[in-house]
Amino acid sequence: MELRTWCRVKEINVGEDGLASGVTYFDAGGVEQFQPDNVVIMACNGVGTPRILLNSVSEQFPGGLANSSGLVGKNLMLHPYASIQGVFDEPLDGYRGPHDSIWSQEFYETGKERDFVRGFTYETTRGRGVVATALTGVHTGRIPWGAGHHDAYRKLFNRIAGVVAICEDLPEEHNTVTLDPNIKDAHGIPAPRMTYSISDNSQKMLDFAVARAPETLRAAGATDLIIEQPLAGGGWHLMDTARMGTDPQKSVVNEWGRSHDVKNLFVVDGSIFVTSAGVNPTRTIQTLALYITDQIKKRLTHLFD
Amino acid sequence: MSDTIATDSLFSVEERKVLHELVGMIVPSSVTHSVPGADDEIIFADILDSARANDAQIHKGIAHALSCGLGSDVPLKQLQSELEGHPAMTPLVSLVMQCYYRDERVMVSLGIEPRAPFPNGFELPQDDWSMLDAVQNRGKIWRDA
Repeated sequence: MELRTWCRVKEINVGEDGLASGVTYFDAGGVEQFQPDNVVIMACNGVGTPRILLNSVSEQFPGGLANSSGLVGKNLMLHPYASIQGVFDEPLDGYRGPHDSIWSQEFYETGKERDFVRGFTYETTRGRGVVATALTGVHTGRIPWGAGHHDAYRKLFNRIAGVVAICEDLPEEHNTVTLDPNIKDAHGIPAPRMTYSISDNSQKMLDFAVARAPETLRAAGATDLIIEQPLAGGGWHLMDTARMGTDPQKSVVNEWGRSHDVKNLFVVDGSIFVTSAGVNPTRTIQTLALYITDQIKKRLTHLFD
Repeated sequence: MSDTIATDSLFSVEERKVLHELVGMIVPSSVTHSVPGADDEIIFADILDSARANDAQIHKGIAHALSCGLGSDVPLKQLQSELEGHPAMTPLVSLVMQCYYRDERVMVSLGIEPRAPFPNGFELPQDDWSMLDAVQNRGKIWRDA
């Protein structure tokens, strides 16, 4: 195997037979190259994969490659987070060791008594390190500039612990990755444009998570709460936009990761998710990649049928 | 001290002067806590050097501070109230926090030894990989393809 670093793919090329013939890319020196191959496997995730597919326009695929369903770039899902942190009087020693610890999925499944479907995972966070405490403090107005800075910092440092809620975002077609009509990258390749708004359902999850978490934190002795929702700095995992499914009109790749339209094109990243789950996606992506490569291996004799 | 020489600097002499004043206003020194301010020579050199990763945003912060009267006779309290919490200042303030709170003297003042807290030992003998015994003894956690 040869790994070519500092390269950027411009497009996937297609032959007269309708199969992918290879990829056109810019090498480390910025020189355009063509790499022919019999199979193309994409692992560019929820933004990179639709960007390349939509940039791969040809006579056979005028709307972008593998896009007969019109769903390439559609249904972008992210993971809105809520962060609910308690401030405690006593030192917690929480900055030592792993950041995350116990999880709770009490509100993970749909609950009839709640006004939203699906749910979220609470991840408890042990505490914040030296710099993270300062950033939290100054950007939430708890640690002032100037003379009061040091005393305020010492009231927060080693005294914060809480939870974050990772909400299961659902697929909605208005959340998209498209090509920006004006912006291009350094190689002249059209840039992706993300269009996303938090749905009512996800917002209700966030609100619920913020409403319930303080019960635990107060019971544990928290005297103050630091709440941020949605959490600006974390959790925006990139999923869907090239969804998996058995129906070519409703999905981009089939149930083992092969494009419905282009029989030697596979996708093994987060873009093939159809729901987002209320957990981090990497292990699911790894599992899907293993599963799809196993399928390629097992079906080698009739892979392009 | 930073290895950065003057001609490599992202900032003009005037900008450095303004930035120096600004960071000292954000985190002043404290006799009570025995800590330097962010305008300390070593910390300020770290700030200048680390600004390279995001220099456009840092310049915006400086420009905003100047537009609010930094370096003029605007009273400090008024200046601080105009700058503190303003979005244009966020990257610069983040940079100051990052550099200030990794300074060894500051960490020591917080009761933290300026190193990774675990393992309990500090210097492992060369070629001693016994820490990984538990990992190696666990065996493979993935299956063969």
